[in-house]
Amino acid sequence: MCGVPGQQNRNELIAELEEKARRIRVLVVKMAGMSDCHTGGALSMADILAVLYFRILTLDPRNPQWSGRDYFILSKGHCVPSLDAALAMRGFFPEETLTTHLERDSMISGHACARLTPGIDVSTGSLGHGLSIGVGCALGIKMDREPNRVFVVLGDGELQEGSNWEAVMAAAHHRLDNLVAIVDRNWYQTGATEEMMRLEPLADKWASFGWSVLTIDGHDVAAIVDTLESVPFEQGRPSVVIANTVKGKGVSFIETRHMARFDEAQLRAALHELGA
Amino acid sequence: MAKPFARVLLELADADPRVCAVSCDCRGFIAPLAEQFPQRAIEIGIAEQNLIGIAAGLAVRGKIPFAIGMNPFVTMRCFEQVRTDLGYGARNVKVIGAYGGGVVYGGWGCTHHAIEEMALMRLIPTMTVVMPADAWETEQAVRAAAIREGPFYISLARGAAVVEQPEEARSFELGKAVLLREGDAATIIGVGPTVADALRAGDLLESQGIAARILEMHTVKPIDREAILRAAEETPVIVTIEEHTVIGGLGGAVAEVLAEAGAGTPLKRIGLQDVFAVMSGSQQDLKSRYGITAEAVVKEILHPSGAGAHHKDTKNTKLRGVP
Ligand SMILES: Cc1ncc(C[n+]2csc(CCOP(=O)(O)OP(=O)(O)O)c2C)c(N)n1
Ligand SMILES: [Mg+2]
Repeated sequence: MCGVPGQQNRNELIAELEEKARRIRVLVVKMAGMSDCHTGGALSMADILAVLYFRILTLDPRNPQWSGRDYFILSKGHCVPSLDAALAMRGFFPEETLTTHLERDSMISGHACARLTPGIDVSTGSLGHGLSIGVGCALGIKMDREPNRVFVVLGDGELQEGSNWEAVMAAAHHRLDNLVAIVDRNWYQTGATEEMMRLEPLADKWASFGWSVLTIDGHDVAAIVDTLESVPFEQGRPSVVIANTVKGKGVSFIETRHMARFDEAQLRAALHELGA
Repeated sequence: MAKPFARVLLELADADPRVCAVSCDCRGFIAPLAEQFPQRAIEIGIAEQNLIGIAAGLAVRGKIPFAIGMNPFVTMRCFEQVRTDLGYGARNVKVIGAYGGGVVYGGWGCTHHAIEEMALMRLIPTMTVVMPADAWETEQAVRAAAIREGPFYISLARGAAVVEQPEEARSFELGKAVLLREGDAATIIGVGPTVADALRAGDLLESQGIAARILEMHTVKPIDREAILRAAEETPVIVTIEEHTVIGGLGGAVAEVLAEAGAGTPLKRIGLQDVFAVMSGSQQDLKSRYGITAEAVVKEILHPSGAGAHHKDTKNTKLRGVP
């Protein structure tokens, strides 16, 4: 996309992406001010989405079905509000569309819906589907000998679904180095993940299945850029990023919450925290 | 229905040490049990297949587990576990669809619509399938499930239909339809949340001087053949209404009874006509777009459509003269 930037350009790029992430959060918070919303998990992955949509993914918003695109699958489909925000900001549809969340005949949906929303390739919402679809997509790209890549964002609670581990095994077996999984490790599902069903040692699990693993701070935009720009981490292996995040990041009073809808005062407070 | 369910679960567990629960990230449904009997309330995380397997294992050990997951996921993701480990295995496990079936999730999307749950669960030999309409019926259904040996599915609604009967006048018997209103011009059969639509259709007809019989079919399997055949005999048309595909659910089950008995009574199945409800909007928006409404029921009775419509028109003397 861009050449290797100098340090100053690099700093500008990071600042720009941080601003995009902030903007995604502002849009999500506004959606949560109008309707029920899986706000916590939408906010925790905002930095990841900003980097993907404004730095990493090769896309054409005027032609969402372009065969040269990188594929993005939001396996934790309930967090679609921040994806909708990123897609709108990237020009797939007007930002005003975001004000119609859950309304009659909206183009956006409460869970990622490929049949309604331009820019979404796979309908999700039932947890534990996305990674297998990502494996299939990556295999198809290999068949075509094309350079497209597949990025799948997963929830941590979602990893309790056994289907994920079937996909994890298959991706390593088929040496899918064009597949990147990103785990939004926010440590909560509807309750605390390690209490409900322990995932740790999570990085070891992926590594033992044959993936190349990096663990990063999922709110450190520079780290996300460095990490995602370096995929595949190893030739011949799928890459997974375990991104440690905070559920509800950016709005202190909903941290760790799964769903949150804001009343007027909360909306004002949340926007204030985000500098909007 | 988390509250009435959780209350009765605790009551049952208190009375019988074999009663326990396994939850698939549905804490609200087991919280009171977990407080009183922590060992008998098992959280297994988001893993429906594991949920059913573990419940089957508990039953192997002689327990009476309630396995709780969200309606679409607990009936579809682990269908084979339910079919083979509970059905074929003849296990005394009670599968609970939590948070609501049908299109109660509205614009949250088709992944969360449970529009196949009755059909799927009905397919499994020995499975009892119940969809209560309100809190009172939920409590009765959960108690009945604990007593009845064998696999059992309860689809818990979110919100409640108004059944409009005083509690002391109500009865709940597995496999027995509830006669909500007497009438002879038509029979309307509802299940779960659509009992409200059936009753409203009854009101609309009544305002035109037409008395429809209204049946609530909380037990979809084993279905009340007797009530259906009586309706076929005594009323000239039957309309079923469900927030479910018309294939294999309430409408499907009623059709099977009518056809096999050789009853010529026309049947109209209101529900999703072999389509997904792909749209954003409220539950009500989806129901009206896809024709799952009291108005649709009334229209089918007054101005029948489709094959057999003509036959129905001429046969239904009780409707003569109605525009
Ligand atoms: C198969 C399936 N089972 C259950 C659910 C209900 N559900 C929706 S979100 C959620 C918690 C998800 O937690 P996590 O994956 O950690 O996502 P995040 O924290 O990013 O919101 C659950 C249990 C579902 N959507 N799909
Ligand atoms: Mg999480």
